[in-house]
Amino acid sequence: MAEMNTQEYWRWPEYRHTVLDKDWHNSKIITAGVDVGSVGSKAVVMLDGELYAYSAMRTGGVSEATAVKVMNWAIEETGLKLDDLHYVVGTGYGRVNVPFAKRTITEIACHARGAHYIYGPTVRTVLDIGGQDCKAIRCDERGKVLSFLMNDKCAAGTGRGLEVFADLVSVPIQDLGKVSLSVDEEPQPVSNTCVIFAKAESLALLRQGWPKERVAAAYHAAMADRIVDLLMRVGVEKDFVVTGGVAKNAGVIERVERLLSIKSLKPNIDPILAGSLGAALFAKALYEKQIGLR
Amino acid sequence: MIHKVFETFREWIDSRHEYAKAWKGRTGKKIVGYFCTYVPEEILYAAEILPVRILGSHEPPTVTEPYIFAMFCPLCRDCLAQGLKGRFDYLDGIVEGQSCLHLRQTFNAWRLHIPIDYTHWIHVPHGVQTPHAIPYLSQELAKFQQSLEKWIGKKITNEDLDRGIKILNRNRELMRRVYEYRKLDNPKITGLEVMEMVLSSQMTDKEEHNKLLEQLLQELPNRKLDRNPGVRLMIIGSEDDDRVFMKNVEDLDATFVIDEHCTGSRYLWNDVVPNEDRLLAIATRYVQRVPCPSKDWPEFTRIQHAVDLAKQFRIQGALVIQNKFCDPHGIEVPPLREALKDIGVPTYPLEFDVTVPWGQFRTRVEAFLETLTGLEELF
Repeated sequence: MAEMNTQEYWRWPEYRHTVLDKDWHNSKIITAGVDVGSVGSKAVVMLDGELYAYSAMRTGGVSEATAVKVMNWAIEETGLKLDDLHYVVGTGYGRVNVPFAKRTITEIACHARGAHYIYGPTVRTVLDIGGQDCKAIRCDERGKVLSFLMNDKCAAGTGRGLEVFADLVSVPIQDLGKVSLSVDEEPQPVSNTCVIFAKAESLALLRQGWPKERVAAAYHAAMADRIVDLLMRVGVEKDFVVTGGVAKNAGVIERVERLLSIKSLKPNIDPILAGSLGAALFAKALYEKQIGLR
Repeated sequence: MIHKVFETFREWIDSRHEYAKAWKGRTGKKIVGYFCTYVPEEILYAAEILPVRILGSHEPPTVTEPYIFAMFCPLCRDCLAQGLKGRFDYLDGIVEGQSCLHLRQTFNAWRLHIPIDYTHWIHVPHGVQTPHAIPYLSQELAKFQQSLEKWIGKKITNEDLDRGIKILNRNRELMRRVYEYRKLDNPKITGLEVMEMVLSSQMTDKEEHNKLLEQLLQELPNRKLDRNPGVRLMIIGSEDDDRVFMKNVEDLDATFVIDEHCTGSRYLWNDVVPNEDRLLAIATRYVQRVPCPSKDWPEFTRIQHAVDLAKQFRIQGALVIQNKFCDPHGIEVPPLREALKDIGVPTYPLEFDVTVPWGQFRTRVEAFLETLTGLEELF
């Protein structure tokens, strides 16, 4: 009997990691940032402002439960307990739902701060492409936000849209960007800006006999157009960097770079962690303030 | 008791229909609905008619699709929905003064599809920056006066017009005096409370409203608000009666210390200056008032007014709001933001719909507040 293909092409790998050559017992300040996004939740633990442990997983139906789960997963092999964390900052769409956070700070501020940590002080423009929204952020040499813009309401041009598309063309989401770049000639972008309509339009192209690579190229090109629109409104200044889950999709990023004639810096730390990293860094500053070091 | 005053304003808005029906039952007089603040209420008061502004209810509209184009603004659709649902069934008439095409469509759809005794369209000129505008509007107001006289069956005298002018001027003056308390370091009134004061003025008998304003002004000097005023904000843009949004923003350590929209200062900033020719005096007020952007061209005069307000009320940032599809306000957003930027005031744009997606808006507003003051000590 034939089996149905039940592969979840949209599902991206969840993971956790601990920097093994660090020991939290030797650190003075242990802080954490929890970024509860609309699609993914991320937790970061920092020892004296240096990255120590982190995790990323899918956001479940109850944000509070996901916040606890992602934090506990990050510290699972460290011997740390929640009570050992000196200060926790919550960020992301579900930032008010992090029960053990002492304070919330928006993901805009946290992504800029996190991007500064990942990419260094030359960053002036941060593009964060998350699950349901896309943010163009201008910041100063300290990673402080100067101005920003977000997309309106619709999730087209964001991670959730890519998940829907991965399912449609049966390509694992991690491979989508690469597949979209494998065309010889760039097709016209799909014209719809709504995820559902863009999916329907892509489906129509598949039915016309377009290979999935070409449809993927058309879909990614439309995402890039939309993202560039937003970036142009806020203005792009070098250095330009990308954070959020979609930063890992070369099909989107290369097209954005092509349209802007600007290259983005390449990260050494997973850019999906930028928000939680920023939150953990703010947590350090807040703890220093609390104990009179600032 | 000052909290009673604010409760009454709120009750008048929440029970606007009950208020109007009770007023009608008590006085036996007529009530006319209007959509835009270009309708000269002075003349309606002169005719002993109660003007009430027709505004929406901020529920997703389900009944307007057959009557109004979906790409017309949420305000005009929400207003029409109220009529189609029969919530204004006590109105004896509707009047509109030309402002934008969207509200014109609401007026026309109402006139065609909702039974009503009296309708009148006032051709308020768009070219308010030309010298012809005042005499033109004066003549249009004469037609409006004659039309009302015919409907109610009696003459509107100069004394009647004087009474109407006096009631409206008094209402505006009292509300402007309340605005003065927003200039203080710790304002004695929140943006939400001011919005409720102005909205209730548009929905009730202004003589009754004036009495409450007098009481408010007696008690306001001794009031101390038990809240951190936080960031001093301006809200500027299209018609806005979204009280939930106002409350939510002011819960984030911020206070709206000034507004510039037709449910706020734009409604009350200018008085009628008395003149022997009463209609000319009224026409002058409506031509020279702080304009709706649908009339504010070729010069953007309102932008300088906004800059002046920003300075007088010492704002730290401005939320520039635009009802979705409101083209007149959309046109002025770039020069307005530029002008405020030139005096060092950052702005953030938000697009309003019938309901506001607070989850997303909260992130934007909070992040905007963080850029203004919030996080400096953490770097």
